Amino acid sequence: MRGVVMRLILGFVPGFIFYGSVLAQSTPAGATAEFVPVPADASLLNKLSDGYQLDYKEESTHLPSENKKDYQDIYDERWKSIKERFDKQEIYTDPAAQAYLDALVTEIVSRNPVLKATPFHCYFSRSYVPNAEYIGEGIILINMGLFDRLSDESQVAYILCHEISHFILHHQENSIAKQVETLNSPEFQAKLKAIQHSQFNKRAGVEGLVKGFAFDSRRHSRDHEAQADSMAVVLMRATRFDLNGALTTLALLDTVDKDDFNTAAFLQLTFNSTSYPFKRKWLKKEVGLMGGTVQPEEGELSDSLKTHPSCPLRIKLLTPMVQSWNTPGRLKNVIDLSRFDRLRERFKYEVIEYAYVSDEYSINFFYSLELLRDRPNDPYLIAGIGRVLNGIYDAQKGHRLSKVVDLPGPEYAANYNLLLQFIQNLYLEDLASINYNFLTPWHPRLDHLTVFKTAYEQSAKTAAL
Amino acid sequence: MRHVNLKLFALGLVLAIAGTVKAADSDLAKFFKAKPTEGKLSIDKVYSLYLRNSGAIMNKNQIKGYFLLYQSDKIDRHTNEYTLQILDENLNKVKDIKFEDSKSISLLESAYNGSSISFLFKNEDQKTLDMKIYDFDGKLKYTYSRDFDRRTDDLMKQYVTMRTDEGTNRNVFDIGDEGYASVLPLRDGKQRTYELDYCSSVSKKQFTYTPEDAEKFAVAEVLGSTDSLVLLDVLKFTHAGKDATSHLVGINIYTHKKQFDVATDEDKAPFTPMAVTPLDGTNDLLVMGSYFESGANVMKDASKGLAIYEITSNGKIVNKTLNSWDGDFSKYLTISDKGRIDNVGYMYIHKIIHSADGKFFVAGEGYKRTASAMGIATTVLSGGRAYNGVTKMTITDMVVMQFDNRFKLTGATIYDKPNSSALDMTGMADMNSQHMIAMFLKSMGCFDYDFTTGDEDYSNFSICYSDWERTGDFKGKTFTSIHYNGKKFNVDKLPLKSKASMLKVFPGKPGSVMIMEYFKKDKRLDFRLEKLG
Repeated sequence: MRGVVMRLILGFVPGFIFYGSVLAQSTPAGATAEFVPVPADASLLNKLSDGYQLDYKEESTHLPSENKKDYQDIYDERWKSIKERFDKQEIYTDPAAQAYLDALVTEIVSRNPVLKATPFHCYFSRSYVPNAEYIGEGIILINMGLFDRLSDESQVAYILCHEISHFILHHQENSIAKQVETLNSPEFQAKLKAIQHSQFNKRAGVEGLVKGFAFDSRRHSRDHEAQADSMAVVLMRATRFDLNGALTTLALLDTVDKDDFNTAAFLQLTFNSTSYPFKRKWLKKEVGLMGGTVQPEEGELSDSLKTHPSCPLRIKLLTPMVQSWNTPGRLKNVIDLSRFDRLRERFKYEVIEYAYVSDEYSINFFYSLELLRDRPNDPYLIAGIGRVLNGIYDAQKGHRLSKVVDLPGPEYAANYNLLLQFIQNLYLEDLASINYNFLTPWHPRLDHLTVFKTAYEQSAKTAAL
Repeated sequence: MRHVNLKLFALGLVLAIAGTVKAADSDLAKFFKAKPTEGKLSIDKVYSLYLRNSGAIMNKNQIKGYFLLYQSDKIDRHTNEYTLQILDENLNKVKDIKFEDSKSISLLESAYNGSSISFLFKNEDQKTLDMKIYDFDGKLKYTYSRDFDRRTDDLMKQYVTMRTDEGTNRNVFDIGDEGYASVLPLRDGKQRTYELDYCSSVSKKQFTYTPEDAEKFAVAEVLGSTDSLVLLDVLKFTHAGKDATSHLVGINIYTHKKQFDVATDEDKAPFTPMAVTPLDGTNDLLVMGSYFESGANVMKDASKGLAIYEITSNGKIVNKTLNSWDGDFSKYLTISDKGRIDNVGYMYIHKIIHSADGKFFVAGEGYKRTASAMGIATTVLSGGRAYNGVTKMTITDMVVMQFDNRFKLTGATIYDKPNSSALDMTGMADMNSQHMIAMFLKSMGCFDYDFTTGDEDYSNFSICYSDWERTGDFKGKTFTSIHYNGKKFNVDKLPLKSKASMLKVFPGKPGSVMIMEYFKKDKRLDFRLEKLG
């Protein structure tokens, strides 16, 4: 989950853009101006999606003739996944943000002429996940959840160069080809046939086959990552960026899962009221079945099945290149540090908003609380928490809760799991009363905000039931 | 959204390798979804996993998780490999236990006692019931076997029925932290009796309690258990099917003996226990059931009302409270002269709930005789020579009652639901007592009541049952809960609308249910938890 970045922005004077804020002069004491998300440009998204669809269709005509249907199936799946990103408005369409990203990309492309021959496009994704990826059809996404944790433009540049490398080295397409060829190879088919004809111990046979493929596939994937790391430094070398950005980014990624947010303490602080005091049982966690909490399985297999080499290993491999090529005068920030900072600030809110509109209520709730800890008077966060608690109430009442909140699981950080447990422990009447009592101190001060007013009125209605 | 999606073919292996059920969406999983060129083989064409059984794992009436038993391989002509997958209450995979056993085993029940987990298997080849007890590492600690024969046919029939009270646990119970008990109804011709097996989970110890000769004609129903006692409602017959006495029997698993046998008609006012619960803060038990007029025959006569007995752990009755149909109940419900509630009929008690605020709530369900068109027709056509019963049993409404701390009725509400016919009851319906019929209905899973789920202290609880919605936007099967939030009740209906070939609702952690859906065409099993509204 979210890292420790919150500490980096403590004391930072909020410089985020107030899109159409109505609070400039009228903010009540104790409340700051609210963030307003940039609306998605649906027509632009459709236009972009249509354009990429043509590319996908064109690409389909060039697929290998042998095993063509297999290739086509996989490329169809890939396109489906790409289209979904546009349909769900995950791609951020704010012109100012896009212009900034384009400027960063131009710095890379203009100084690496080889890239001009193979056009690609970079976009911000509104996802909270700290990740960037090449998704096919020449599209690279850098998630806001990663961008807002970076400390300078050289880190953005390294991430872009890494993904561009995947693109120009055709890693994804090579993996698809390897998959199709393996599945249809005479050796693989012969092994499958032998398993089919064996009356007994089929599982052992299939498992052996799967393991062999898994090791091979993941090894290739790790090789691809190592290649992309190296190629990224090669591309960065031609730019003005400080090559140390590669190493600091990998170090950041190594700790990206660490988080210091004390969920229990903040929930008790936030949702304790005189008329509806916080109940300890809301945080109660069941003792796990068979000896405690479920842990993700670790062991001999897990290292061999990782898709990425470990970050310390990647740093070790890149360090000689960086040290040898990094020259004095290279810059951490080349394009515009103030725009970089403003975007980072705005993205902290945009990921929260996108989590809500894409029905990821528990994610929205977690990030809202985490940010509220540092900005206790933030109107957007206060109204947003009221909105999401009403959403959770409605989902639970309509038996849709499993579609909008995660269940506690070993794959999540402890503090996010505790929030999930909190949600699980609440009955409808708890949700309604907690929300009403949370919003009441801000009424009528924030009534001028539609989201707040709607959330408050709904919570008052449900709490009275 | 936690959405466990288990493909019943090679993806299962991918899951095993990748470690978590969520890995179904991994790149490896996609690889195995891919079909090779026509005419060539794919993994799912050569290998399949089969789900054999599934159920809930319970401890002290709380859901701790779920089990799924897969047949994962064939080892030889007589032996299969099985994978027992254990999920926690949030559907996270806890363990995969692999073992080899006869190809004709089935998993009947599971229980959990905080330090071990037990599974009761039926082995058709060996004709044995095998209790396997595993430790937290998934290692087999002990296996206990006992033979089964035609005398246990009734039990096997019970296991065939899909729905069971309180999830899956009908006959296997955790007893304290040290072992498990299973109660087996036995039938040999017209002779009926029962046996109780106890299997230790801390050392290799087992014993079987067999009732004395005087109980050779006995029907036992498990009412519950404490850390040391298994509590049974036993109907003993002097002449099969005619005169019967009702007993509350406590069997001590440490002494291997009957701790008490309370003949509930000692004062000539018979009492037929239906539900039991420990009384908080004491070693005493609270037993609820129907009471009868002095000298009445429980096999024939109508009950007078509901009695609540407080008994010590030695079986001494320390208090009796009677709530009569015509006096106490008639203040809240319309009662006919024979102790029947209008439109509800007789009442069976499913659950006594001692809530955190000191109140007692009782979940009951109605059943009544109605005319059986087929029974009437066949009896008439045979000129009365072949009596096939002219009535059948019908399951009616839910009734929730509230009692004060002196166990006097303070309220009762009928929750209307469509009547449902209890199958294959013609004949029996006319021949047996209302209590006997209720025991039979319960053992065959005929009641619509499913389970009660709630906080450990029952400050919140939901009484859950299967229902049908005939009006409104949604028409079809629903899962209904009557929820108590510490102040009041409200009803929530969960529409069970699904494209799945099979849908089953299991009890979940407090306030939730687990829904399992099987999609035959996709060979896919989905599990999800839904909170009740």
